[in-house]
Amino acid sequence: MILRPIACVLAALFATSPVHADDFQLQRVLVEGARASQLGIADSAGAGSAGARELAGRIAYRPGELLEVTPGLIASQHSGEGKANQFYLRGFNLDHGTDLATWVDGMPVNQRSHAHGQGWTDLNFLIPELVGRLDYRKGPYSAREGDFSSAGVASLTYANRLVKDIASVTAGQDGYRRAMIAGSPEVAGGSLLYALEAMHNDGPWTRPDDYRKFNAVLRYSRGFANNGWSVTAMGYRGEWNATDQIPLRAVRDGRIGRFDLVDDSDGGQARRLSLSGIWRRTDADSASKVSAYAIRNQLELFSNFTYFLDNPVDGDQFAQPDRRVTTGLDATHTWHMHRSAQLSSDLTVGAQLQNDNIFNGLYDTRRRQRIATTREDHIVETSGAVFIESATRWSDALRTVAGVRASNYRFRVDGDRPENAGTAHDTLVTPTLNIVYGPWASTELYANYGQGFHSNDARGTVATVDPKTLDAVDPTPGLVRSRGYEFGIRTEAIPKMQTSLAVYRLDFDSELTYIGDAGNTEAGDPSRRYGIEFSNYYRPLKWLSIDLDAAWARARSCAHSCERHSDNRIPGAIEGVAQLGVTVDPSGPSSGSLRLRWFGPRPLIEDDSVRSNASLTLNGRIGYRLANDLRLELEGFNLTNRRASAIDYFYESQLQGEAAPVADVHFHPIEPRSLRLTLVKQW
Amino acid sequence: MTLRGFKGMCLALLLCVSTAASAHRFHFGMTDISYNERTKSTEIVHTYTAHDIEALLLNLYQRQFDLSDPEDQDVLRKYVERQFWLAAQDATRLPARWIGMTVDANSVVIYQEIENTPLSRLATIRQGVLIDFLPEQINTVNLNQGGAVRSLTFTRQALEQPAQ
Repeated sequence: MILRPIACVLAALFATSPVHADDFQLQRVLVEGARASQLGIADSAGAGSAGARELAGRIAYRPGELLEVTPGLIASQHSGEGKANQFYLRGFNLDHGTDLATWVDGMPVNQRSHAHGQGWTDLNFLIPELVGRLDYRKGPYSAREGDFSSAGVASLTYANRLVKDIASVTAGQDGYRRAMIAGSPEVAGGSLLYALEAMHNDGPWTRPDDYRKFNAVLRYSRGFANNGWSVTAMGYRGEWNATDQIPLRAVRDGRIGRFDLVDDSDGGQARRLSLSGIWRRTDADSASKVSAYAIRNQLELFSNFTYFLDNPVDGDQFAQPDRRVTTGLDATHTWHMHRSAQLSSDLTVGAQLQNDNIFNGLYDTRRRQRIATTREDHIVETSGAVFIESATRWSDALRTVAGVRASNYRFRVDGDRPENAGTAHDTLVTPTLNIVYGPWASTELYANYGQGFHSNDARGTVATVDPKTLDAVDPTPGLVRSRGYEFGIRTEAIPKMQTSLAVYRLDFDSELTYIGDAGNTEAGDPSRRYGIEFSNYYRPLKWLSIDLDAAWARARSCAHSCERHSDNRIPGAIEGVAQLGVTVDPSGPSSGSLRLRWFGPRPLIEDDSVRSNASLTLNGRIGYRLANDLRLELEGFNLTNRRASAIDYFYESQLQGEAAPVADVHFHPIEPRSLRLTLVKQW
Repeated sequence: MTLRGFKGMCLALLLCVSTAASAHRFHFGMTDISYNERTKSTEIVHTYTAHDIEALLLNLYQRQFDLSDPEDQDVLRKYVERQFWLAAQDATRLPARWIGMTVDANSVVIYQEIENTPLSRLATIRQGVLIDFLPEQINTVNLNQGGAVRSLTFTRQALEQPAQ
C-alpha cells in the first residue's frame, strides 16, 4: 500500500502543543491497557478514577463495596442488608455517609437531616453493571464540592450506552439469588438504556434477612456525553429483616449464638424513585452543564440497640421513618482561555440549589407497633451555593486550581413540640487552593489546602429541649467548617507502576458522632486528624495487575481547641486500612483475582480503654469463558473463614434477665465463607 | 489535487500549526484507498489521532477502553463501519472487511479491504468518522489510482461524495 502522504499529515497533526483547547473536559482514556494515568489530570494525590473494567473486576458482597475502589475506604454493614452501609475513610467512622459525599449520575445520595443518621447514604439502588466510571477525591480541596465532602467524594456515572446487552443470573449460599438484564438499543436517533434487577439474600443469620430488592432504570439519551442530553428514571424497593449488633457478653456466656439476634422484629423497608436529567454542551472554548433531579425516598427502619435498658417490659425498639422529596439543580459553565503556548486557564462558575421536604420521626415501638412518640417533624431544608474556580496551567511544570464557594442553608423545622420548632440560617464561605508542580516527565508534587463543611441535622439547629429527657439544650450551628492541608506525590517513574503518597491534616470545628444507643448522630467537640495514604498499581505484564493501598490515620477529639495536645479518641475512628489485590487475566478462557483487605483497629471509647480488633479478610473470584458471549463466574467471600467484626460499638445495654445495665462491646460479625456462582450472557 | 499539491498543503498546514501556538486543536482523519494488484483487493488505511478516538469512545459510552483488546476494538469497528462506507454504481455497499488496527500513544491506524474489487467499481464514498462528534473534523480521503493520488475532503457539510 502506498502511504507516502500520511507521514506528511501526521507531522502536521502531532506538531501541536500538548495542551489543546478542547482537552479540558476530557479524562485520559485507556489505550495502553493499564489503569488510566492521573498525571496532568488530578489535582491531589488522593484523587482518582476507576473505569468500568476495573469496577467489574471488583469482588463486592454488596453494591456499596464498589466504593472501596477508593484507596483507604471501607464499606461495611452492621444491620440488615437493606440498610445504608457503614463507611470508613481517612480516620473517620463515617457512620452511614456523614462526611463522605456520594453522587450517582449527578444526584446526591446523602440524605441530610435523616431520621437515622446525618448524610444517610443508601446505595442499594445501584446496579453495578451500569456504572461506567467512579471518580473519587479525598479531602476538602475543591470548591465544586459542598456538604459532606470533607473526608471525600465518590461520584458514580451510569453509561448512556452499554457496549453489549447483558443478562446474568446468580445463585449463592445463604439464600443469595440475583437476576438482572440490561440493554441499550438505539431508538429514534438516541440510546434507550434499560435495566432490571431482582435480588434476594438471607445472609448467615439465624433469623434470615429475607432481603428482597427490585431495581429498575430507564434512560433516554441523545448525542454524546459532552454534547447531548439524557433523561433518567430510576426505581428501587427493598424489604428486610435485620440482625443488629449483639452484646459480646451474651455470646461469650452462650446465651446467644454468633449469628443470633436479640430483637427478632428489627428490620425495615426502603423505596426510592427518581427522575433526573443532564444537558451538556462543549466546544473548543467553553463547556456548560446543567443537571436537575427530583428524588422521592421513603424509609421504614426498626432498630433495637439497647434491648431492655429503657423499657424492661416492651423493650427498647424504636422506629425512625423518613420520607422526603429532594429536588435540585446544578449548573456549571467553563471558559477556556488560551493565552500562549504555555499559559492556559479554565474559569468555571457554578451554582447548586437543593431543597428537601422531609417528614421524619422517632417513635418507641414494640414489634414494629408504635407505643410512644419521641418526636415527629416536618423539615424543609433549602440550600444554595455558588462557586468560582480557576484552573491555570502556568507552564509545563506548574498548575494551580484555586476556588471559593459560598453556601447558604435555611432550616425550617415544624414539629410536634413548639419549643423545638423554628427557622435557622447559616452561611459559609470556603476557599480552596491546589498547587501541582511536575518538572519531570512522570512525577508530580501536590500541595493542597481547602475548607469544607458538613451541615448538621436541621432538628438540632432550632432545638431548645431534648425530647427524651426534656433537659434544656443549646441549638447547634447549621454548618460546620473543616480545614484540610495535604502534601502529596504521584509518580510513574517505575515503568508500568503508578504510585501516590499523601500526608494530610484535617481539622473539624465539630465532629459528628454516632450515638450507638440512641440511634442518631450528635454534633460534638472539634477534632483533628493526621494521616498518610500510600497507593500503588503495578501491571508488569498485560495479564497481571497488582494493587496495594495502605492508609494510616490518627484522630483526636479536642475539648475546646485542637491547638493544645489532646488524647481523647473518637469512637469508631479507623486507624488503618490496607488492601492487596492481584488480578490475572491471560488470553485464555480463565481469569481470576484475589483481594486481601485489612480493616484496622478502632478505639471504641474516648479514653481508648476498649478497642476493636483489626480484621483480615480474603475474597476471590474465578471467571471462565464458556463461549464468546457466555461467561461463568465464581465469587468467594471471606475465603479463610475468619471470625471478625464488621463493626463494634461500646455502650450500655440490658438484656432480659439482667438486673442492671451492662457496659459492653456490641458487635456485628462479618459473614462467614460463602460462594456465589454467576452466569453472564452478553450480546 | 495532485500528490504534489497535497504535499504542499500539508507543508503549509504544518507551518501554520507550529507557529500559531495551537490555540485550537486541529481534528484530522486520513484515509488512503488503493488497489493492490497482487491481491486484487482494494485496501483502505485510516489514520486518526488517538486523542480524538479516545474522546469519542469516552463520550459515547462514558467508560474507558483498551484498544489493544479485541473486544474493545469491536466497539470502534462498529462505529467506523457505521460512519464510513463505499458504494458501487448501483448504490449497493461494497463489503469492507475489517482486518485490524494498531494503536500507539499518538495515532490509531485501521486496516480494511474489499476483496476482488478494483477502484473503478467505487462510485460513492461516505467518510463521517468523528465528524458527528467533532464539528471541526476534516477527513481527507486519498484515492490512489495507478500512482496518481486524488484527494477528497469530507466535512460535516460534505459527508458523501462521488468517487469518480
